[in-house]
Amino acid sequence: MKSMTIIVREDSYDKILTPLAFAYLQASEGIQVDMLFVNWSVRVLTEEGAKNIKVQGEYADQDQWVRSQVEKVGIPNDIYTLLKAIKEMECVNFYGCSLAAAVFGVDEDSLIPEAEGIVGASWFLNEKADKADYNQTF
Amino acid sequence: MSEHKIAVTQSLDTSGQCCPMPMIDSNKAMKKMQAGDILEIIATDSGTRSDIPSWCERTGNKLLLSEEEGDTLKYYVQKQGL
Repeated sequence: MKSMTIIVREDSYDKILTPLAFAYLQASEGIQVDMLFVNWSVRVLTEEGAKNIKVQGEYADQDQWVRSQVEKVGIPNDIYTLLKAIKEMECVNFYGCSLAAAVFGVDEDSLIPEAEGIVGASWFLNEKADKADYNQTF
Repeated sequence: MSEHKIAVTQSLDTSGQCCPMPMIDSNKAMKKMQAGDILEIIATDSGTRSDIPSWCERTGNKLLLSEEEGDTLKYYVQKQGL
């Protein structure tokens, strides 16, 4: 495998860990990973959004416990720190979906510097997903 | 553990870490090594039992030996000239 795309929809802390861990893992082998953040998850590409992400739903009361467990197994438990670590692998691109950005209130100026920018879904699906060896959706 | 005479170039202790960190750190370490160098990977994540042999096959590096004692797993991987 030389390239993969990951579409991330979930923005709950626990649910975003898996796609980020997979991206980190594959990038460490030099695989090109392009990630599109759609729906609420586009907010993760802002400093405030990355900072405020929490475990949600029925497990919301276990947020701190999950973070301590994540730290214990050696993964940065802060999402922005994790995004920076992944970006340092030099073969991961983070894109925000333009529809999600418009609906959920994210503009180019508020993106973290590690994000490539806000892109249309058509571009991502045709230029990245269609040409990648493998696609995942979370 | 069995006695062996493997001349380890670098040792990487990932004890306590879980997937994906042992593999990420192994990849990072291997990138800095030269062909013929041997990386010793110490792990406690049982996932490495499948991850490391598969990683070696995929990357062309040679798994010289794997051994276990209690919860500790050790792998000796030689970087190949690719």
